[in-house]
Amino acid sequence: MTQTILLRTITRQAGGGEIVRTREIGGPDAMIGRGVNCDIALPDLSVDPEHAMLRITGQSRVTIESLTGEPFQMNGKAVLRVELEVARAPVVTFGSYDLLFGQGGEGDISVTVLRHPEPHPAAPSLFSLRTSVFGRRRTAWVTGLTILLLCLVLPLAGGAWINHSRIHPDRQWSSGPLSKAHAFLEKDCQACHQQAFVAVRDTACLSCHQAGDAAATARIDARVLREGSPFLPLLVSDHARHDKLVSATPPPPTLKGKVVSIFQGAMNHPSDRCASCHLEHTSRPVDRNVSATADIVRPGKPALVVVTDCAGCHSRLKMRLPSTGLIDTPDWNRHPEFRPAVNLGFDGPQPRIERVSLASPQLEANGLTFSHRLHMSATGGVARQGQVLGAARGYGSALTCQSCHRPEGGGFKPIEMERDCGACHSLAFAQVGGALQTLRHHDMRDVAGLLRGALAPASPPKVDPAVLRRALAPGGLCVDCHTVRPSAGLLGAEIAPVRLADRLLPWGDFNHGVPAHNGVGKGAAACADCHKAQVSDRANDLLIEGVATCKGCHGRTEHETTAAASGRCGECHSFHAPGQAPRTGQDRLFGVLGLPAGVKPRGIPTF
Amino acid sequence: MAGQTQRRKRATHEGFLRHRGFLFLKIGTVLCVGVTAAYLFQDQRLPRGGGTLLGYGLGTAGALLIVWLALLGVRKRAVTNGYYSLKAWVSAHVYLGLALIVIGTLHTGFHFGWNVHTLAYGLMMLVITSGAVGVWAYATLPKTLSDNRAEATRKQMLARIRSLDEALLDAAQPLPRIDAEIVRLSLEKTEIAGGYWQRVMQNWDNCANKAAIAQLQPVLAGATGQQAAVLRRVDALMRDKADALAQARKQIHITALLEGWLFVHVPSTFALLAALVAHIVSVFLYW
Repeated sequence: MTQTILLRTITRQAGGGEIVRTREIGGPDAMIGRGVNCDIALPDLSVDPEHAMLRITGQSRVTIESLTGEPFQMNGKAVLRVELEVARAPVVTFGSYDLLFGQGGEGDISVTVLRHPEPHPAAPSLFSLRTSVFGRRRTAWVTGLTILLLCLVLPLAGGAWINHSRIHPDRQWSSGPLSKAHAFLEKDCQACHQQAFVAVRDTACLSCHQAGDAAATARIDARVLREGSPFLPLLVSDHARHDKLVSATPPPPTLKGKVVSIFQGAMNHPSDRCASCHLEHTSRPVDRNVSATADIVRPGKPALVVVTDCAGCHSRLKMRLPSTGLIDTPDWNRHPEFRPAVNLGFDGPQPRIERVSLASPQLEANGLTFSHRLHMSATGGVARQGQVLGAARGYGSALTCQSCHRPEGGGFKPIEMERDCGACHSLAFAQVGGALQTLRHHDMRDVAGLLRGALAPASPPKVDPAVLRRALAPGGLCVDCHTVRPSAGLLGAEIAPVRLADRLLPWGDFNHGVPAHNGVGKGAAACADCHKAQVSDRANDLLIEGVATCKGCHGRTEHETTAAASGRCGECHSFHAPGQAPRTGQDRLFGVLGLPAGVKPRGIPTF
Repeated sequence: MAGQTQRRKRATHEGFLRHRGFLFLKIGTVLCVGVTAAYLFQDQRLPRGGGTLLGYGLGTAGALLIVWLALLGVRKRAVTNGYYSLKAWVSAHVYLGLALIVIGTLHTGFHFGWNVHTLAYGLMMLVITSGAVGVWAYATLPKTLSDNRAEATRKQMLARIRSLDEALLDAAQPLPRIDAEIVRLSLEKTEIAGGYWQRVMQNWDNCANKAAIAQLQPVLAGATGQQAAVLRRVDALMRDKADALAQARKQIHITALLEGWLFVHVPSTFALLAALVAHIVSVFLYW
């Protein structure tokens, strides 16, 4: 029986459903191709016009062979020739058409032609970007949550989880670089920001900067160096108790200032903190054109904003601080006359020190008898004695100021009787075996003990109380220099307590080392310009001049005097170091030059 | 009723930019001038930035403004009875959003760095810039879109391409494989739209239909007889298809410009809100 090929062509309709056409192909061969004359016509451009020949080769067996050398697909593989057993229902693919072989009725071979479903046609939604890019909403959430995680959660958790790591996620919160002075704390935000949601408090600053005793300072220094600071912290004290400073501060003069003040109070951001004036994380210096205190521009240090300047508090101070004894100083021109701290007498051994105005000068009760005029005269016994002593012993001619007042730093070494007077005023009181026995002047207990024979030397001389009485009597050894007052004791008299003033003006700084204060340079002041010692016959004269002398240079212009100097408060007073003028970066720099190797400087040395 | 009629008239004849005689432009301008003056006249001694009274004020105003501006996304989905119209919202959104440039920048005091604060500022500027592109797009592109469309709907544009493809397939049937391959290139490899940048930049130089036309020309020149006639028909169809593609792609490009800014604007708004929260919390946490 001759087998024939039954061709079934299935066409899918656009609206669904299929059209099936069936026809019989006569003969054992069938041409497969795109051509319209082909037995199995497949209108696909990837199929050749006469692509392959289908032949029946046996009972239910066919071969398909490419006629053009172009392959077709069988089970996903490209082939040029295949033999098929139709009973196994093989599928052969030409382009987008599948040929499904099967057993037809009466031993015929059935070939079903089925076109692959077309890909979905382009829809109008193609015009919208949404078809081509990521979803907006998902991206928005992912981006937002990522930032929240990296910029908020991670730094918050960082403190707990990765505290010891080299990574410091909270550094991204820093609003700007720290000053050079604090740069070593850049990775340790919590050194200053100690409490969450609380503005930096003074305790944080003072934990490194509080002036205290030597032990406390050593502890602070060690801690700061451990933190990695290249220098030691500057130590500060307030020039008055904090509550007094707060009371003395005037309210803001402007409405805006008052609003700011109320706002700061409401926000728990008070303006009396260290950080109210010393600003960190500001990369730009404060406006240099603003007149404020002397050291407003301080390279390397936190920016300084003077919220209230000296004159702000020291004008009408008594209105705000009734307990104050300070006289208002609204500006340098109205600086009150100096009121040196003078010892007016002794309550027992205790000096009674009061501030007295130079406008109504009083004598200082220092317990000494001394004539500067006599000692500084170019002629006379003292000058002659200087010549006799000679240059080898530091004299050589009439005495000068420096013969007794030996400079040290910005001041002088304390007067020591044995060193500064002893060359002329011998303390010898006896001779033992040819050697003079001298009093040890610096301690009255020693003197008394020695004279009583209670102290060394081993074989104390017998001192006749009459000798002592003579020494204390008018014209006696002690009376040359000491005030002697009656006593109920054995000798009937005693040496009054002695107190040489170290500083007459303890709240102001006068640097004797400055060339302009030292007679060096044009117009500079020499000792005698401020201290009228050469005309003083009494040891208890206050040998300082009033503020008018300072104003001869300070506050003047260069047109007025060649030694013109500033009249700013900071020339003599500083906020954080009472009694000292502010140290500048240059002071610290020169201080560094004198430091031994390995010793860290205190404060950042800058020009 | 009269009120409703009036509202409708305005809605018909007045875009969001001109809403109520540029009311929000005026408000935004006054706001900018005011804060700039306040910035210039503030205490010269203090470093300018977010830490001054004005800085906190600008920061608070800016943050509230950002949240309110972001709420447009909520408002536009809500149907209201017409008061506080969506158009008024959009108008205010645009002009107050632009005013935010001044408010935000003065809040920074021109202090920038590699930190979360500058991140928030950068994102804010990104949001505003992308929004400005959106305003430009909405103001200018709909007319271009309409002109390009020339009464044809998007569906019709695609149908035209599809019918040209079918005609091309039919016309190419007599061609030998080598020539049919050229037609297949046009039929099977032509991508109508493409990706984000392709759409935005109108970069369709690698169009398969265009390549097919180019490849066909030498074949056409050497063809004779019946084949030449078929090839000429194919060539004509592919050129028609190129025209249809050009029109559709122009439409796609304009649509991309109309929509593209939102793909930056919306995600960066979310990012900005997150950075803003991080900025505010971190500032007060490490006060």
